[in-house]
Amino acid sequence: MIVSDFTWREPVTIDVGDTIATAAQLFADAGVGSLVVVDDDRPVGIVTDRDLVVRVLARGLGSDGRVDGVMSMGVVALDADDDVEELYAVFARHAIRRVPVVDHDRVVGMISLDDALVSTAGQMAALAGVLSTQIAFPHVRDEADPPAVIST
Amino acid sequence: MKAHTGDKLTIAGHRVGEPKRIGRVEEVRGADGAPPYRVRWAENDHVTLLFPGPDCSIEPMDAEREMEGADR
Repeated sequence: MIVSDFTWREPVTIDVGDTIATAAQLFADAGVGSLVVVDDDRPVGIVTDRDLVVRVLARGLGSDGRVDGVMSMGVVALDADDDVEELYAVFARHAIRRVPVVDHDRVVGMISLDDALVSTAGQMAALAGVLSTQIAFPHVRDEADPPAVIST
Repeated sequence: MKAHTGDKLTIAGHRVGEPKRIGRVEEVRGADGAPPYRVRWAENDHVTLLFPGPDCSIEPMDAEREMEGADR
């Protein structure tokens, strides 16, 4: 299974020179909790709705400041064709909750830790359903394929 | 920002007590040394794709070796 098999969200981006007010409006309009900050289409940071609370409101800053002043700088990303084990490793080893997905170094999606958990839980439920059927009807497979009778 | 394979990459800590992150560039994917880079992180030996931000600095491998030589 590779990263592109996972459920992900369309990325919502904001230009590095845009204002905090623009970011807040994007959060409201797109219904997302994080934005990828891009400079000339290349990601340079991530800003979350929590950043606006902790780094803007709590400090009494105005909404006319630049978004790059409150973003988390640098972006750890995954390639769309990376193995899904890489997704788990990134969450586990780098203390991040969201990771952008890139295809030819362009951001094409965003996977959050919540998305990964829900998607994995769905796969576990499907596997549990198969296992449940096999436990309830242990001889179905035997009946479907009886041993061949060799005529003499 | 430009880097070469083998260069040392450092991301500064942003809060008191937050350690800087140090890695080694294993692959340069952009043209002419531009990002993104595949970086092996010293803290966990894990390799990730990184689009560096303005808090990231690159130390050329050659300069690093010269400094090590001067220390001897």
